[in-house]
Amino acid sequence: MVAAIWLDVLDEIARTCSAHGRGDLLQTVRQRRVQLLDPRLRVLVVGESQQGKSQLVNAILNAPACPVGDGRTTLLPTVVQHAEAPSAALVRASPAAPGRPVGAALPAAVERTPVPLAQVASVTGAPGSRRGPAYVEIGLPRALLGSGLVLVDTPGADEVAALGAAGPVAVPAGADTVLLVSDSTRELSAGELTMLLHVARSHANVVVVQTKTDLVPDWRAVAERNRQHLAEAGVSAPVIPVSSALRLRAAAVDDRELNAESGFPALIGRLQRDLAGKSDRLARAAVCTIARTVVEQLAAPLRAELASQQAEEQSGPISRLHAAQREVDELRRCSSRWQNTLADEMADLLSDIEFDLRDRTREILRLVDEAFDTADPLNAWDEFQEWLEASLAEAAEANHDWLVQRCDWTTRRVAAAFARYGGDVLPPWPMTVPADLGEELPEIERPNVDRFTAGQKLITGMRGSYGGLLMVGLATTLAGMPMINPLSLSVGALFGGKSIRDESKQLLRRRQAVVKTAVQRHVDDFFVRVTKDRRDAARQVQRMLRDHFSALTEELQEAIIQSFRSAKQAADTDAAVRDHRQREIRLKMTRLAGLFEQAQQLTVVRSAPVQLEPRA
Amino acid sequence: MTVGVRLEETAWALLHQALQLYRDSPAATDHLRHQLARLEQPLLIAVAGPWRSGKSTLLNAIMGEEVAPVEGVDDSGCFTWYEDGSQPRATAYSADQPAQELAIVKSPTGMRVDLVGQRVGELRDIVVQWPTRTLRQVTLIDTPAATSGDEPGRAPVMERVLRDADAVLYLTRDGRDSDLRLLETGRESAVGQAAPVNVIMVLSRVDETGGGRIDGLLTARRLARRQQRDPRVDALCVTVVPCSGLLGLAGRILSESDFAMLAELARVPRPELETHLLSADRFVRGDALLRPDAEVRAALLDRLGLFGLRLATTLIRAGCDSRAKLSAELIRRSGLAELRETMHRSLIDRHDTLKARSALAAVETLLRSEPRRGADELLGRVEQILAGAHEFRELRLLAALRNTRLGFEAELAAEAERLVGGDGVGLAARLGVEHDATVERLWEVAADAQWRWRNRAEDPLLRLAQRRGAQVVARSCEGMLAELAGGGR
Repeated sequence: MVAAIWLDVLDEIARTCSAHGRGDLLQTVRQRRVQLLDPRLRVLVVGESQQGKSQLVNAILNAPACPVGDGRTTLLPTVVQHAEAPSAALVRASPAAPGRPVGAALPAAVERTPVPLAQVASVTGAPGSRRGPAYVEIGLPRALLGSGLVLVDTPGADEVAALGAAGPVAVPAGADTVLLVSDSTRELSAGELTMLLHVARSHANVVVVQTKTDLVPDWRAVAERNRQHLAEAGVSAPVIPVSSALRLRAAAVDDRELNAESGFPALIGRLQRDLAGKSDRLARAAVCTIARTVVEQLAAPLRAELASQQAEEQSGPISRLHAAQREVDELRRCSSRWQNTLADEMADLLSDIEFDLRDRTREILRLVDEAFDTADPLNAWDEFQEWLEASLAEAAEANHDWLVQRCDWTTRRVAAAFARYGGDVLPPWPMTVPADLGEELPEIERPNVDRFTAGQKLITGMRGSYGGLLMVGLATTLAGMPMINPLSLSVGALFGGKSIRDESKQLLRRRQAVVKTAVQRHVDDFFVRVTKDRRDAARQVQRMLRDHFSALTEELQEAIIQSFRSAKQAADTDAAVRDHRQREIRLKMTRLAGLFEQAQQLTVVRSAPVQLEPRA
Repeated sequence: MTVGVRLEETAWALLHQALQLYRDSPAATDHLRHQLARLEQPLLIAVAGPWRSGKSTLLNAIMGEEVAPVEGVDDSGCFTWYEDGSQPRATAYSADQPAQELAIVKSPTGMRVDLVGQRVGELRDIVVQWPTRTLRQVTLIDTPAATSGDEPGRAPVMERVLRDADAVLYLTRDGRDSDLRLLETGRESAVGQAAPVNVIMVLSRVDETGGGRIDGLLTARRLARRQQRDPRVDALCVTVVPCSGLLGLAGRILSESDFAMLAELARVPRPELETHLLSADRFVRGDALLRPDAEVRAALLDRLGLFGLRLATTLIRAGCDSRAKLSAELIRRSGLAELRETMHRSLIDRHDTLKARSALAAVETLLRSEPRRGADELLGRVEQILAGAHEFRELRLLAALRNTRLGFEAELAAEAERLVGGDGVGLAARLGVEHDATVERLWEVAADAQWRWRNRAEDPLLRLAQRRGAQVVARSCEGMLAELAGGGR
């Protein structure tokens, strides 16, 4: 009747699995059910390489079933079971069913190649082929096997990941008892302890077999330390020290005392107890472990969903509502920000542009002054006019270029305020330099300048020479000479020449002053006109930018308000659905907890309770 | 042989360039100066390996005395350095405290360092000075168990080993994947990826192979050869040597009284003795009639191990009738002789090359960890040196020739070995001519050898590995010719 109870619980677990839609778990549970109903005891021998696993199997059976040797001998898992006559076969999953889950490999889907017993070593030593996992099956007519013991020897595994890599027959979950083999020359390594922890979590029945006790004198101390390590790691597995060499020797010479010394009676006793108690104690423990794994696996997604739902309350419609609200505020802040930016930037721009133009024109004027300190406007005017026009046009152009650049820059500054709303916020218009800039400028008129004509020169010369002639002539009359004599005449000519030169110099200076004034006036005119143009242009740009960004702001506002509205609507409807789902999950969790509790009742040994309650 | 400038000189120059580059960083300068000083020091050989792989035993066996381990530093990550000195002395260094002298307790076969009153967890290094011939040319380092580095709170031991030591004896019981992964940690840098010339893999504790069967050592040799053929192993170490530290040590410190006991044991009739030697327990327990008495037997067992006892009694019966004979045979059978030979040929004789390699590695690590302007050029320089370092290839070939991996005929192999510097790195020694030969004669022999090996390198009938080997030999010959042309001797 006891059997029925654990079977019921197992079936209940299977039903829960299918109710949760977990086909994979269901598969495992069904497989375990078949296995638990099987009266045979499947013993898996695992451990690192070179620990004496195969030798252990041989020693248990007192027969050379598995090949032993140095280096890596066992590369394929070997299943040793009862048979009327010694036989061996290489079994591999048929390549016809590659899509099947590993656990579903039914006996029908495998191909079996008989191997002569003498060649078993060459088969197990061959690395696993590409045709899928294979294993060697050995049948021996032994009483121990006949009572239902099945031994599975596995290739050495250094790490947890390598466990069961050799194929489905070597998976710990498929075994009733797991023997972890570690030799006496050293204590359990960190790797072995992790492996133990891993196996013990999914498997109730683990035994640590410490082999090669014949080799070292201090194996008792090692065993003691191993027990300590196990206790520290929280693994409740017994340590059984054995010596395969002694056992085999004892069998050869039929020495009971030696056999007792080998430690095997304890191990075999344990295996036989397991075999006898399989349908009861072992099965209940197994079901308990299955329940724990299954419940953990089923509860995990539920718990995760619950947790994510709680998280969703922040990220769900409500939070979207909040986000939309924040967006509206943000947009408001943004709009005042860009307006300020635009106004400031434009004011800066105007003053900068004006200063730049002023600077350029003053430079031109300074050059003009310098030039006309020496040059005569009469001769140089045409050349000068050309130069002046070119310089002014150049100044205007450079200034305009700068204006365009500044405007562009300002636009980007303002657009930066909209960066969080996406990239395409720049106004589409381009600003270019008008081509006819030079022609717009007024022509400078030729200023009226006095020329020094020949008649004027004559009169001026006559007037100058008159004074000189008279002065010297009067002086010479005192000396009894006539008024007009060669001396007075030459002095008169000298004076006449000087006054002509003085007069022409004066006239030149007057002409230069006139030209300078005229140029200054012209440049002033130019400055005023160009400044006006620039101001107009800047204002226009400012207006355009303002219009553009206002439109953009309005657009954004519309969109945000729309999303705000929809978020509000969604938030209202969502709360009900979520509450419903949460109730559902909690119900499922409670059921799982009940199931787990039921499984726990099966065994006296209580395992650590699973954390089922959702974390609030 | 880098023509013109030797590798160690290049390394020295590189260190100075790096010093120039990092002259404003005191830490880097200290580090580089330390590396410069290291160039002059004896070769640093670390004995590393996973937990309980027999590191300290092997170290003792190499030294021939029982000096390792320092009890109690097993888990602390502390390195123990054994260096030459006039007086036995031990000094402890920790990260934040001044150096402290440690007490030494002498024993008949060695000594023991007393750690009483030390906070073991904080120790970083223990330097033991011990006057012995072995330590003249090398400094041996006993290291804590190498872990895969994923253990929290502990610096990866292997990284420090590869950084601090010039060469490594890596001990492993069976050369499993986790061991290979540990060794691969050293392969991230450019220097590490160049030919692996500084690691010898030692299959340790081979006396336990096959559960202590008498032919266990032969099997171990076979296993080592199989390991060597694995391309992954080959890419990580120069060669694989099987060695039982326990037997080797026993052989080296075997006393007359030990021998007398063993001889007495060997006189017990064989079937009877075999039953006693079935297990360690039985041997120690024994029966009252078995002489010598239980205490002595326990000591013998401790020293030799069960396998060692079986081997020693068998050897005595087979004719090793004196202490010296037994001791020599034990050392030979343990693989220790072969290991010491390999160490000498591949590591100690190539002291300069290995030192230069360490310097290159140190510079590269510094350049990568503290990049600055100009570091790229220096990195390029490191790679350039590595690409031109023919020494590394010679070393690899030498190891391959020794364990007849390549399959050259004995005569050819001997010639190749001589040419790549197996008998000495001087020109005359390489060419196998009398040491006072004229330049013309040297030139003639070298040119002839170069021509023959060049032909062999292009012979399509030879296997690829052989052709590659021949290429290296030909390159060595070319190097010699270039040296001759440069007027060197």
